[in-house]
Amino acid sequence: MTYTVALAQINPLCGDIAANVAIHRTCIEQALDAHADLIVFPELSLTGYALRDQTFAVMRRPGAAEFAPLIECSRNVAICAGFVEEGEDGIPYNSAFFADGGALVHVHRKMYPPTHGMFEELRFFGRGRNLSVFDTRFGRTGIVICRDLFHMFEVSTMAALGVQLLLAPSAMPARGFQGDELSIEHTVQLAVGSASTLLGMYVAYVNRVGFDDGLGFYGGSMLSDPDLGVIASAPRFETAQVLGTVDRTHVARHAYQFPIHREEDLTIVRHALDERRTQ
Amino acid sequence: MTSVVPVLNDSMVAEYLERFIAEELRSSGFTEASIAVSGGLDSAVVLKLACDALGAAHVHPVFLPYKASSEESRRDARAIVSLCGLPWTELDITAMADAYVALEPGIDRLRTGNLLARLRMAVIFDQSKKERSLVIGTSNKSELLVGYSTWYGDMACAMMPIGDLYKTQVRSLATFLGIPRQIVEKPPSADLWTGQTDEGEIGVTYDTLDQVLFLLIDQRLSPEEVAQQGFEVGLVQTVERKIVGSQFKRVLPPIAKVSQRTVATDFLYPRDWHA
Repeated sequence: MTYTVALAQINPLCGDIAANVAIHRTCIEQALDAHADLIVFPELSLTGYALRDQTFAVMRRPGAAEFAPLIECSRNVAICAGFVEEGEDGIPYNSAFFADGGALVHVHRKMYPPTHGMFEELRFFGRGRNLSVFDTRFGRTGIVICRDLFHMFEVSTMAALGVQLLLAPSAMPARGFQGDELSIEHTVQLAVGSASTLLGMYVAYVNRVGFDDGLGFYGGSMLSDPDLGVIASAPRFETAQVLGTVDRTHVARHAYQFPIHREEDLTIVRHALDERRTQ
Repeated sequence: MTSVVPVLNDSMVAEYLERFIAEELRSSGFTEASIAVSGGLDSAVVLKLACDALGAAHVHPVFLPYKASSEESRRDARAIVSLCGLPWTELDITAMADAYVALEPGIDRLRTGNLLARLRMAVIFDQSKKERSLVIGTSNKSELLVGYSTWYGDMACAMMPIGDLYKTQVRSLATFLGIPRQIVEKPPSADLWTGQTDEGEIGVTYDTLDQVLFLLIDQRLSPEEVAQQGFEVGLVQTVERKIVGSQFKRVLPPIAKVSQRTVATDFLYPRDWHA
């Protein structure tokens, strides 16, 4: 009932798929050496983040030949990696694929590409319209990409749909350097902690490091256990690969001892929204 | 009154900025950095950060005095260069500056100041070519926002590590980095004439300026709201005018759009572009 997750806190090169595939393969080899069952990479791990007009040049179908070696590696370890997806509609999406057993299992399209202040994602990406909830050998699994994680309504819905393992690849820029931790770190910890402690999921949050122009990504990847809180964490600013163990019995035990999910009555939410709509 | 400008975790800021310098240099294909040192706080901090990030052997400071530069500036520049374990390089720009000044007898102090800043830029960029290095800029957030800097002069560089730190935050970082007290505590000055100080030129102390800037920019308060926090209305309006009036320095010059794809308008690539 246990399995090992590797959090690959890498520094992808902006716009260089071949170099990034090589980085992924090195991390996957390390994960295999460590007998990991699943490896999770950050948001846009295969392309870099601040792509702007490079988006068009690096968008690929999930089955692109460049990704084939990674899909092949998934015979030995399940892989969640980020890329620019060329949708069947021709639209580029900020996506993450999940591959296992040598096959592509699922692709999640980021639902909330932020477009304000330093962020300009909707200028270049389309918007995903679907929650990603799918069954894997790790139990019911969900994917949220970076900003998606802050949309608690969606994350709560995923919990209501039975997600036990939430994969949260991220490219979160550092800001707020007062205090012992970054202010954005605190926000992320709140989101991860809420999903894991209140909603009863394991959360694998994987943030990248390095700089794309002036944006510096802070790392701080972590695996959060519904019972124990953060059980594995990567350092700030440095590339790292850390391992954490998921014990699936914790999900059931937590759900029994702290039965938020059992209490949940979504008809209350539905009723409130219906009322609002008719006002 | 306690300042409203946040006190930063200087240890974390230093680590972050050192990583920024190292990575920006590497991603541009360089290993070396050139820095014009003035004897002032900003260039001392940037020099120390660069040395900690790259190793002293990869950092090339140059002191670029004019005949009006004070002996104190030379002494302090020498102090920080020596603290970093670097060799001393001094290139006097007096002859090249005065060759032009002789052609313009009516030149005033402001024009002379801009001329000197642009000559220093020309020299440090040439030095950077010689050293196969990138020029690291030393502008801070306070001066970038009020435009107390010369366009294509001291603003010209390949990266600005402390460009998002207010002057008072740079001062705190300097103390953390062990910059000599004489540099941290002396009144900031462009050193263009005897007795010149930034605060005298801008008309307000950095302590007050940074608070007004923080409230206007970071907190997005209106000038009226800033004044309600206890700052003099006229001062807040002056600061706002300086910010708006210097916007041209912070952007690329506008390009008249003619084609389907125009540089900076819809030809959009990151600086760290790896094709």
